[in-house]
Amino acid sequence: MMVWFTLLLNAMWAAIPAVGFGMIFNVPRSTLPLCAVGGAFTYGLRDVLMHNHFSIELSTFIAATAIGIIGVFWSRRYVMPRPVYTVPSIIPMIPGTYAYEMMISLVSMNSDGVTDALLSSFIQNGLHAISILFAIAFGLVLPSMYYTKRKKPII
Amino acid sequence: MLKGFLTISYEEQTRITTVVVRVAVMLLEYGAESRLIEQLSSRLGVALGCTSIEISLIPSAIVLTTLIGDSSVTTTRRAHEQPINMSIVHQIVTICIAAEQSPRDIMMVERSLANIHANPYPGWFIVPMIGLSCAAFSHLQGADWPGFWITFLAASVGMMVRRALSSRNYSLLIVFAFTAFVCTLIASLAFYHDLSSTGRVVLSSSVLLLVPGLPYINSMLDAFKGYISMGWGRWTQATLLTLMSSLGIMLAMGLLDIKGW
Repeated sequence: MMVWFTLLLNAMWAAIPAVGFGMIFNVPRSTLPLCAVGGAFTYGLRDVLMHNHFSIELSTFIAATAIGIIGVFWSRRYVMPRPVYTVPSIIPMIPGTYAYEMMISLVSMNSDGVTDALLSSFIQNGLHAISILFAIAFGLVLPSMYYTKRKKPII
Repeated sequence: MLKGFLTISYEEQTRITTVVVRVAVMLLEYGAESRLIEQLSSRLGVALGCTSIEISLIPSAIVLTTLIGDSSVTTTRRAHEQPINMSIVHQIVTICIAAEQSPRDIMMVERSLANIHANPYPGWFIVPMIGLSCAAFSHLQGADWPGFWITFLAASVGMMVRRALSSRNYSLLIVFAFTAFVCTLIASLAFYHDLSSTGRVVLSSSVLLLVPGLPYINSMLDAFKGYISMGWGRWTQATLLTLMSSLGIMLAMGLLDIKGW
């Protein structure tokens, strides 16, 4: 029970960055509540899946696909381009820390010389960042690939 | 069908071309994905009376041709770097849908395009909100409460610096490097007298406001949907931004002599 409460609380926390980044991208004001719902939903879904021993990449992929499909319905209903909802919603899952650590080990390899530790940190963080990013993007793309097949725009 | 394009003169076609390419360039500048740019401009062109629209995209320019019967008008426009603005993209989508509902009404489209407003969020609202966002990230990654508040402070000040530099039209790369530098300097307060026991989390979370999320996602979406060169261009841009932020962090860490995260 306690675990589920923590997961729910974390999902609430994830809603804040979704709104914040939505504001950086300057989404229309009326969409901010749905961005918050989307952020909480994706992060919560990913947490639940990871809690059930899925890998972080697979959980991210499933969560991104889910928000991609939900985004189609929201965008039809409110006549909005889909990225307005989907991109802020997946922001809490972006592997920002991995990407920064990869870049920093790259820069320090240049200044301090190549060591095994730096090299493995570079490769490990880089692979993590790229595979998570790939999972997010592929998840978001899947629903719109279906609509490409039908040759009919979503809105 | 034939009657439709006989009534459009060359001057009118040039006018339609100007409107359509303006829409396409605005979409590109304000961060829409390539498929949306192509779809919207061809839908708008058809609504205004063209037979079809052919468009070629590269990250910094657009080449666009309107075809009406046998006559074609081609034009090229350069796209300049603008901050991402989804509000403008939404307004353009609305205009295109309105144009489809009342076809051949170019006056209405021109008037609505002139009335597009950037609709920015006020500074007193966005600055603490971004601070809170990064603080929420640090909390999710397990920072303690002093660390939470230090992240809040660092990200808020970083956002103020970013807004101030952006409004003075500095290059986005410079803005990112300098903002990362300031964020890291403030976040290193966590190490001062051991204020927070989770200094590494504070350091990495306080720069998260600089993650170029939309360019990365856009580049992947473009590449997946067949716009390979646009995907590469946006990927390079996002990677450069990440690299510049990392340089700012490295500089601050070097100044303060912090070793590693």
